[in-house]
Amino acid sequence: MSMLAAGEAPQISFAERIWRINWALVLILTAIAAVGFLALYSAAGGRPEPWAAKHALRYAGALTLMLGVALVHPKVWLSLAWPIYLVSLALLVAVDLVGKIGMGAQRWLVLGPVQIQPSEIAKVAVILVLARYYHGLKPEQSGKLLHTVPAAALILAPVALVMVQPDLGTALMVLMGGGCVMFVAGTRLWAFAAAGLAAVASMPVAWTLMHEYQRRRVLTFLDPERDPLGAGYHITQSKIAIGSGGLFGKGFLHGTQSSLNFLPEKQTDFIFTSFVEEWGLAGAAVVLALFGAAILIGHSVALRSRHHFGRLVAMGVTAMLFLYVFINVAMVMGLLPVVGVPLPLVSNGGTAMLSVMFACGLLIGVNVYRDAALPRAG
Amino acid sequence: MRFWPRPGSPDPAAAPSAAAGARLGTPQDRLRSDSQEVARQRIGYTIAIFGLLFVAIAGRMGYVSLLRDGGEPVQRVAARGGALQGERADIVDRNSIVLATSVPVMSAFVNPRLVLEPQDAARRLASALPEGKLEEFSEKLEGDRSFAWIKRGLSPAEHDRINRLGIPGLDFQAEERRIYPQGSAAAHILGYSSVDNAGLAGVERYFERELQAGEPLQLSIDLRLQRFVEQEIARAVRKFSAIGATAIVLDATNGEILAMASLPTYDPNRARTITNEALFNRGTLGVYEQGSTFKIFNTAMTLDAGRATLDKIYDAREPIKIDRFTINDFHGQNRAMTVAEVFKFSSNIGSAKMAMDVGVEGQRAFFDRIGMLKPIPIELGESAGPLYPRHWMKINLMTISFGHGISVTPLHLASGTAAMINGGILHRPTLVKRAGKADVGRRVVSERTSVAMRQLLRLAVTEGTGKSADVAGYEVGGKTGTAEKPGRSGYREKALISSFVGAFPMSDPKFVILVSVDEPKGLKETGGYATGGWVAAPSFKAIAEHIVALYGIQPGDWKGGLAPLQVASVAVPPPLPASALTSRARQRTVDQRKALPARAPGAGPAPGERRHATE
Repeated sequence: MSMLAAGEAPQISFAERIWRINWALVLILTAIAAVGFLALYSAAGGRPEPWAAKHALRYAGALTLMLGVALVHPKVWLSLAWPIYLVSLALLVAVDLVGKIGMGAQRWLVLGPVQIQPSEIAKVAVILVLARYYHGLKPEQSGKLLHTVPAAALILAPVALVMVQPDLGTALMVLMGGGCVMFVAGTRLWAFAAAGLAAVASMPVAWTLMHEYQRRRVLTFLDPERDPLGAGYHITQSKIAIGSGGLFGKGFLHGTQSSLNFLPEKQTDFIFTSFVEEWGLAGAAVVLALFGAAILIGHSVALRSRHHFGRLVAMGVTAMLFLYVFINVAMVMGLLPVVGVPLPLVSNGGTAMLSVMFACGLLIGVNVYRDAALPRAG
Repeated sequence: MRFWPRPGSPDPAAAPSAAAGARLGTPQDRLRSDSQEVARQRIGYTIAIFGLLFVAIAGRMGYVSLLRDGGEPVQRVAARGGALQGERADIVDRNSIVLATSVPVMSAFVNPRLVLEPQDAARRLASALPEGKLEEFSEKLEGDRSFAWIKRGLSPAEHDRINRLGIPGLDFQAEERRIYPQGSAAAHILGYSSVDNAGLAGVERYFERELQAGEPLQLSIDLRLQRFVEQEIARAVRKFSAIGATAIVLDATNGEILAMASLPTYDPNRARTITNEALFNRGTLGVYEQGSTFKIFNTAMTLDAGRATLDKIYDAREPIKIDRFTINDFHGQNRAMTVAEVFKFSSNIGSAKMAMDVGVEGQRAFFDRIGMLKPIPIELGESAGPLYPRHWMKINLMTISFGHGISVTPLHLASGTAAMINGGILHRPTLVKRAGKADVGRRVVSERTSVAMRQLLRLAVTEGTGKSADVAGYEVGGKTGTAEKPGRSGYREKALISSFVGAFPMSDPKFVILVSVDEPKGLKETGGYATGGWVAAPSFKAIAEHIVALYGIQPGDWKGGLAPLQVASVAVPPPLPASALTSRARQRTVDQRKALPARAPGAGPAPGERRHATE
């Protein structure tokens, strides 16, 4: 059997590439963004300002970006993976040194007129670089400890930099998203067990490193009634709002808890709560079903990719999407501490939408170029 | 080897690319097949894990939005438009009289961020709510937050006045408020609850979950009796200038508590005024040396162990000296006595000698068996465990025989007494009405011992220290006890716990009554005495008379007749084994407070003189 027959990728026409774009996924994402529009419209008291209109415009831009990314050949991303990763690390270091402080955390980097949040770039960069790394390994190598350690280091470097900001939610997402890629790449299960043990062992240390507000959130998560008017207010109010929605909700623009400002952060991390208050369990089921469908599509793209790189990128993106949804929804229902993870395409906020749509572009690209032959050595 | 998803695998996006589905794997594919196979397998796991987690949050969503009442039920009530839901359940007495209930009230709150002119609003609020302070309102209205209570539990007039102010950002919340319609009656049993309707003491706290879940609670207490018992011990406290008192009425046949009062008390409707002292439930939380009432247990123990019969003779002429301590009698007879006489005259010397016949191990095992070494599992958080010597030695054996050197709660005493006279069955005391499911209890002494104890208790009332407890025709039996309270060094002679525990009718005991008065002062009419016979026995009698009237009990309503005990005095004293009981061992470890101060041997008790010894 010969070695890789590099460069013999089947050529596919532009029309076929368009055809291969996962239009079902595009439709689902658009539906989710529309939910976001409705929720933001209602959160502003029935006005398109200040959030809903911008949300729609931003989605239009992000959609274009996504389709553009989807039509770029994976070999380009393969060769760009390392540069993107290194740049994102550099930006993270820069933001730790000179970043702008918002909400008690240094997350933003101002480059002239543009404000960027390097931690969002890092989410995608880690997926790309891990996929690139495992793509370059021989099949029998990927389970070896010798090759697991560098991959872990690739994840932990940005995680550490994000933790310092401090942004626990993003750090967790990068960690778990990267962990998912490693899992699919064939890392031995005992390595995850060891990492889990190490994490448990380091908890006391992490506790001392945490900011006071983070500790309070963890304690509040464990017992929301501990401080119902202080740090527990988020969770308690959120649960009340969800509970008050019932099966079919109070109706569009009729949510009292959110419009009476009982609910903090209602346009960002807790947008799902105000949506559920108005649309009820039925509305929540629709949104969760949309996300669930998107995640299943992600899995199917990963299964169908013929190259390892594409498979891993697809799984990384899928995991990222899942983690966004899971952490956010679990958070607003008091199943997880309030760590500040938005609901993608629904919450108000540009950077997260761009990074999610960029990642979905990569995912669709994997589907479009699923038969591409990618050389292992790069 | 599979390169394509299995038929039927979750793949809703398969349709758009179905055209490509017919291609077989290329050699390149096959080369990479190992890692591909691992990856496919792991993708499958990921689908499963993500799917499970998704189901979990979806399930939680359904739970939060449909079943659970949103973490703070009160507020959800408002979101539902004022309809009261999930009301905290009522507490009723054994005859279904309401002791605690919840009523809807309005509470005012403010979102300071929406208040336009905080200073003005604060001034107007202060005028509408005269008892509120202006500074307090200003502080609340100017704070940088989105929520602050103005006042909870408004009266309708206050609600109206605040509503008329028309302050933007100010709103009302329908809440429920806990009401105790009987005032301070049964306060220590009920406990009280916070403004958020969380039980903070008593059964309100113990049954927090059940009450919150809407399960009504029926107590075993009878409010009519409870009220009388409270009044009666309040009268005793006033009369004897005592610092407190407790009384318990127990159904001897099943352990149900019919009344339990403790003074000082409080009004659960006015939670803010409650002091720690008033909150203290002497009946279940107060741990005291009980004194001579413990001779009930000592005598039952000796009889039940077969170490003595009622007419076995003990020499009570000489005080017992052990270590630095001397054991004396209060009502000293200076002669040999039968077991019945030891009980009747409440002889400490005789009791100690009886206990010696059983021994340290036997005594410890007996007290453990009748529940004196463990907390009573009563339905109250305010429940204390007994104090007893860690190293149970001979000196402890003797002092415990007459109720010193061991401290238990009054409920322990009442419950133990019930077991001694009800045929020998120890029931778990309860505050909850046992509907249909009677407590079988546990046998702790023989039927025979129990009959003897009834005779002895009856004797102590007819001929002994408890004469003032008798209710003619109702066969009252009981035992007095007067214990000195331990102070910083040794016992405080003037600080007594004077008690009486007994039951009636002795032929078929139904009601066990314990009255215990804390630090009563002697009166001229009691000859300066503040002992159990003078202080507690009359209250016992009053409560017994009330029970007779309340339940319409006629003399002879009960089955069986109790043979009165004939007590013959012992004519000839037996030879004295004088030194036998005097230990020379110098056990410095004995806690002085647990034994008794020495007293000159041979000195008879002077009338009216209060002694360290128990009555």
